[in-house]
Amino acid sequence: MSHDDTVRDRYKAIVLARRVRALVFGVGLVVLAVLFYYALISVGFFEANIPTYLPNFLNALRDFFPFLAPTFPFIDPTGVVAYWTFITEQNLIWGGFGGDTPLLGEAGITLAMGFAGTVMGFPLALLFGVLGSGRVTPFPFNFIFRGLMSSIRAIPALVWGLIYIPIATDTVGNLGRLFTDELEEIEDGPIEAMETTGANKPQLITFGMLSQVTTPFIAWTLYIFEINVRIAVSLGIIGGGGLGQVLSVQQGLFRFTNMMATILVILVLIISVEIVSQRIRSALREGDEAQGLVALLLGFPQRMAEAALK
Amino acid sequence: MSSITVDGLTKRFGETVALDDVSFEIPEGEFVIVLGVSGSGKSTLLRCMNGLETPTEGEIRIGDTPVTEPRPNIAMIFQQHNIIEQMNAYSNALTGSLNRNTFVDSLLQRQSEGDKLQALDALDTVGLLDEAQQNAQQMSGGQQQRVGIARALVQDPTVLLADEPVASLDPGSSQQVMGYLRTAAAERGLTAAISLHQVNLARKFGERFIGLRNGQKVFDGYRDEFDMDVIDQVYGDIDTEGMFAPDGEANDGSVDDAGSKRAVDSGGMGQ
Repeated sequence: MSHDDTVRDRYKAIVLARRVRALVFGVGLVVLAVLFYYALISVGFFEANIPTYLPNFLNALRDFFPFLAPTFPFIDPTGVVAYWTFITEQNLIWGGFGGDTPLLGEAGITLAMGFAGTVMGFPLALLFGVLGSGRVTPFPFNFIFRGLMSSIRAIPALVWGLIYIPIATDTVGNLGRLFTDELEEIEDGPIEAMETTGANKPQLITFGMLSQVTTPFIAWTLYIFEINVRIAVSLGIIGGGGLGQVLSVQQGLFRFTNMMATILVILVLIISVEIVSQRIRSALREGDEAQGLVALLLGFPQRMAEAALK
Repeated sequence: MSSITVDGLTKRFGETVALDDVSFEIPEGEFVIVLGVSGSGKSTLLRCMNGLETPTEGEIRIGDTPVTEPRPNIAMIFQQHNIIEQMNAYSNALTGSLNRNTFVDSLLQRQSEGDKLQALDALDTVGLLDEAQQNAQQMSGGQQQRVGIARALVQDPTVLLADEPVASLDPGSSQQVMGYLRTAAAERGLTAAISLHQVNLARKFGERFIGLRNGQKVFDGYRDEFDMDVIDQVYGDIDTEGMFAPDGEANDGSVDDAGSKRAVDSGGMGQ
């Protein structure tokens, strides 16, 4: 087989290009490895001396998972009972009527923290989000509000927890930013149409702009609510109450079984919140608003059953 | 007085001249069709007429008042209808009354009963009374455009402008929408200017025609003067065969497939 010189030349050029690429990739890999090594050094990873802690860690593991037994059948039901005893004793799930932790227990307190924070943050997030949009506030001035939201985001919620109502503040920064971004995507048409009806500025913003984004705004608010419930757990650990606080107290007492029981309740809470929020958001996306929230919640068990049988 | 005077209107976007010294007058209650190919300046003319664009030179007056910004007595219907898809037809029609209501009243839908009944009246005019509570995004393109007309009527306008209101509709819906526009303007004595690019629709519904080409007015006249030569003037030397719908077709907006086929078969001209 003979080939044209131009074909040969092209082939050589391709081979060369691939070699250069492989070399660059190799150098990049070495640089990454070096950076990783320095990162481990600076966090004192090699001084931690993991082998000496290993027996302690394994002991703690046995406490964490008391239902695992060393002998056949490797399951010890009393472990599960230990979890449950702690959960009911501390009113983690159900606080009963008129108790110290009303109705939903410690999980309810965490949920309430996330919910109240979202509700408190929402109005300011809406205000700053709208004012941060270049279509509402002319260019240099909208950056006052964008900057304000950026500053709020720059400080983590845990740090806000040391200063001021953390979840609400964090919501203003994050949800407001999502609102502003969403407003950049809207169509000019309805805004112009509202102008021609002689609408004033607030009417123009509400009917021309916000009406285009009600569905995404509700969806983003639910998403921020999910995140806020998670933040509420972390805030509990620094003393905010709810499941986080139970967790930190039990950790201080080295009651690892109780800790794991609390973690399980956290898991169930977060997943439940996410499932409900996801279902509402996907219903909104499909434009099923007409069927309403009530129908959505009533239909939930049926849909779960249908999904499980598929 | 709601006659429209366009006086020496020139609009430039940078180097591009969209409108070049256009002048005409529309007496009160006349139904005018503005014709021209895409890019001939139809949209710019209508947008200047309702104040969405500011003329570079010249002036537009409604009655004796110059147009400087959008105002409620000039209603506009858009090609992309621009209704609010997240609201139902009734709420959309009701946005026509925004200028008569405060922010809070319009937000909570606390307009007067008169305004609310007027919105339903307008929906009735465009044949959508039964669909009043239907969500706008579930409506067909033709229905959405009719909601746009209803909104315009609720503004209580004296002037009705429509920028290619049927450009994105199928032939059947186009005729229907044009029919409703014509009826609404006639019933309420509105001065109307509608831009179109379909010659057959223009001929079917128009009284007076204004032709634009490259931003200049090349024709201004009534039905009897609107002939083949004029179409050549406005559209250039294109194949106009089959462009005309036969005269005397029912003006009720019904689709007549056989009718338009006849027009094509017989050359479609001068029937």
